Amino acid sequence: MRSSWVHRRDRRGVWFVAPFLLGFLLFMVVPLGYAIYTSLYTSRIIGGTVFTGASNYTQTLGSGLFWSGVVRVIVFAAIQIPVMLAIAFFFACVFDLGVAKFGTAFRTIFFIPFAVPAVVGAVMWSFLLEPQFGPFTRLASVLGFPNTNFFSPNLLLASIIVIVIWEWTGYNMMILYTALKSVPRDVVEAAILDDTPLWKIIVRIKLPLVRPAVVMLVFLNTIGALQLFTEPQILEYFEQGAVSVNYTPSYYIYQTAIAADETNLAAAMAVILAVIIVVISALSLIVRRRRGEFA
Amino acid sequence: MTVSTAPPPPAAPPAPPETRRQRRRRERLVARDSEIPVELYGLPRGTITLLTVLAFLFALFTLIPIAWILINSTKTQANIFETFGFWFASPFQFFHTFGLLFQNVDGYGTFIQWFGNTALYAVLGGGGATVLAAFAGYGLARFRFRGSQMTFYAIIGALLVPITALTVPLYLSYAKAHLINSIWGMVLPSMISPIGVYLMRTYADISVPRELIDAARIDGAGELRIFLRVALPLMVPGVLTVLLINVVAVWNNYFLPLLIFNVNTKYPLTVGLGLWSNRAVNSGNANLYPMLVVGGLVTIVPLIALFLILQRYWRGGMLLGSIAN
Amino acid sequence: MSAIALADLTKVYATGVTAVDRLTLDVADGEFVVLVGPSGCGKTTALRMVAGLEPVTSGTVSIGGQVVNDVSPRRRDLAMVFQNYALYPHLTVYDNIGFALENAGVPKAERDRRIRAAAASIGLSDLLRRKPRQLSGGQRQRVAMGRAIVRDPAVFLMDEPLSNLDAKLRVWMRAEVLRVHKSIGAATLYVTHDQVEAMTMGDRIAVLNAGVLQQYGPPQELYARPVNLFVARFIGSPEMNLYEAAFDESGALVLGSQRISLGQAPSPPVIGERGAAPGQPVIVGVRPEDLALCPVGTPGALAADVAAVERLGSEVHAYFSIDARPAGHPADGGVPSAGTVVPADEADALPGAARGGVARLDPRAAVRPGARVTLRLDPARLYFFDPATGLATGWPASQATPAPALPSAPALPSGAN
Repeated sequence: MRSSWVHRRDRRGVWFVAPFLLGFLLFMVVPLGYAIYTSLYTSRIIGGTVFTGASNYTQTLGSGLFWSGVVRVIVFAAIQIPVMLAIAFFFACVFDLGVAKFGTAFRTIFFIPFAVPAVVGAVMWSFLLEPQFGPFTRLASVLGFPNTNFFSPNLLLASIIVIVIWEWTGYNMMILYTALKSVPRDVVEAAILDDTPLWKIIVRIKLPLVRPAVVMLVFLNTIGALQLFTEPQILEYFEQGAVSVNYTPSYYIYQTAIAADETNLAAAMAVILAVIIVVISALSLIVRRRRGEFA
Repeated sequence: MTVSTAPPPPAAPPAPPETRRQRRRRERLVARDSEIPVELYGLPRGTITLLTVLAFLFALFTLIPIAWILINSTKTQANIFETFGFWFASPFQFFHTFGLLFQNVDGYGTFIQWFGNTALYAVLGGGGATVLAAFAGYGLARFRFRGSQMTFYAIIGALLVPITALTVPLYLSYAKAHLINSIWGMVLPSMISPIGVYLMRTYADISVPRELIDAARIDGAGELRIFLRVALPLMVPGVLTVLLINVVAVWNNYFLPLLIFNVNTKYPLTVGLGLWSNRAVNSGNANLYPMLVVGGLVTIVPLIALFLILQRYWRGGMLLGSIAN
Repeated sequence: MSAIALADLTKVYATGVTAVDRLTLDVADGEFVVLVGPSGCGKTTALRMVAGLEPVTSGTVSIGGQVVNDVSPRRRDLAMVFQNYALYPHLTVYDNIGFALENAGVPKAERDRRIRAAAASIGLSDLLRRKPRQLSGGQRQRVAMGRAIVRDPAVFLMDEPLSNLDAKLRVWMRAEVLRVHKSIGAATLYVTHDQVEAMTMGDRIAVLNAGVLQQYGPPQELYARPVNLFVARFIGSPEMNLYEAAFDESGALVLGSQRISLGQAPSPPVIGERGAAPGQPVIVGVRPEDLALCPVGTPGALAADVAAVERLGSEVHAYFSIDARPAGHPADGGVPSAGTVVPADEADALPGAARGGVARLDPRAAVRPGARVTLRLDPARLYFFDPATGLATGWPASQATPAPALPSAPALPSGAN
């Protein structure tokens, strides 16, 4: 039974957490609650705002447009995240081992996109990929692919994938690099004395030790990827009509709330999206944990 | 049996002061001393060259947009689209366009004002977030009150909730409370950073020994005093990292200001540039595209410079160490 | 041809620090050689150069007669036990031990046989399925040894393998390490900072200080014939008592205000080319175990004031002071030559701390703090050193094997090389 003084002293800790908690409640919990509340109503021109229960939800859940957007971001995440993490891990290993020259300079360069807001990144790439005048379009032409439209339905998602990889690889690489650096040096030396080939050192010794970082990155990246919004919107500004209104769930929610002014429906969509994201992110944690048993 | 009988060596003459290059060379050699020598990995010859080339290619990929925006910030709208993307063309229009950033062109908003807004939001929001996170992180790490663990999990759980689910209703509540276009409507939510709390708590756990706090309590210091004078100085690298993360996050934030601001005088840079992207296609004004390019450049230069300067002190390790725990 | 031979081995770091300075020694087949010295003396660096983990600045490392400076550590046919064990954290004990065999492509059946044999030899048979984090410190240490044993190498390297174990376990493991060494028969280079481990385990001991080899020989030689002040102080616990002294015209030893006749003394110790002239400063050393209480008036006795007494049950440590100046510490203003001690812990001593002498006495000795006692200085058990160079100039006359350093230590291995 802990002494009451310890109890009282520990309770003072609440005061430290209180300011954050207050804001947390006001700006995270309350809005979420309000979203749920709003989603149960519908505003009609005639009749005002009426309690409609689950009708917004059934409407969304039955909406092909909504689900095609969900499928699209899942496909997007399933391609973009592994490719990006592979590149990031590859370079993190290279720099950690010191098997390339100018490691420090390269690491700094790779990290620069982290300092670039997504809007500006999307703007830059929109110029580069612009279907008529962009340098890459011209390059494709020179290379034997005339009339390449990077914003066409076939290539649009690929283009967005490239943009997002450009934005985030450096950050992921830094995290993995730091994780690799924390592997104890003498364990690697022991492996060298055991005549372990380099690939085995990386896969059987280093990779298992950085698994927590990899898991965290998959988790964070998944949450971000499923909420894809900025890049499609900027591309839409540059090439109107390239991005359908339901391209990603977040984009669809935004259009529904602002352009179509159907805030109640948008609220329901937001709640559903939140649930989907929670489920998929939690799954990504569990899957990683299982597959992480190397050897 | 060996015996050392050498007399002490004569004192060496003082070495001349090092040049910058010598110092960097020495630092590189010292760093190499602390790494495992590359030869021990048993790699075939040419691997290092190959990997350096690959790294160079990716660096090229990374720098292409930056190079593009640097070069094309000097061009007219026609030239942006018609001349070769990676070399200059006359007329050199950079300063003319740059000057336009200080004006409200066609009512589409004043760049410099957006810049000031962004700086204000980032400093207030990022700074406030860091303060709240530091307090909360310390409180959760060093006080075991009932529900502290649950609270922590709840805060982490908040990371799972997508921004759309939070921001749209926030916008709706602002609309009701007439908080649209309010600066505090932007700054206050930005001060709530769950990842900041997570990082600060982990860092406080690592860097502030309980015994130190107990010793200060025995010496009669109050809890706030202990936090400010004892704990916080030990948490400085973590605080700086969280500050950097939060400032960058607010600087780059797009979705929240997009929803809650509808007068362009309050826009931060992200929303403003997005607006210009939207209007430039249809607008007859031949300055908008160049302004977009120059504006984009001005937006990213400060942060990139900040990163380049701070890269020595960047505690990526702290960010990561917390994740690995 | 020796199993390991170091010739002028030198390591200078990019910071300019010389960690190892022209180290030359050899290890014969099957020999157990201990590299010992205070922290930072370069012993681990030297070991790592033998392993190939540390690039050599100059000098050569030879294994089995062949210079291996340019040979990768993968090919040197040696196994190493690291101070922090360096076990593969995510592999089982079984896989940890067998990792090198796996890399070498040894077929599964034979691999299994060898792993189980190695595990059985150090009592790990029941732990093969566990992971390192589920093991105690001692068990992890044995896994590290098992990993080295299974390779059946020509050379064994050990970097302070017992330092992280608690005291009792360390004593038991000392015997275990030696038993394994005997059964494998490989030449072993063992690094430690603990002189007890060195004395009890080594066939030969190499004492290092600040990168420079001080003395290399069998334990009894280092004990009975230390070549300089550093070795004299480093070997033996408690430390040898050292004082500034001189000889008078009659050949008696002048210690402070006392004159001690050495009776049928050995010839005055040599300093330089001539004998020590009367009045010329010398440093005299006497080990605590060579002091005994004697009645007042005994010829050759030293009068001392007892400052403190520690009763260990098996013996008594009496801390005494005399009015002679203690010697051999650079803090006393002595010239720090190659032979003078520079141990790190001296920096922590309070300024002006009295450096007294210590005597190890019979447990029934009747001493009390504050008393004045007479201690008998056996002239045949004195050590002499030159104050200018720190080198030894005179050793105990007795050639017999001296008493072991600690009452409970096992018998020293017989036969110097």
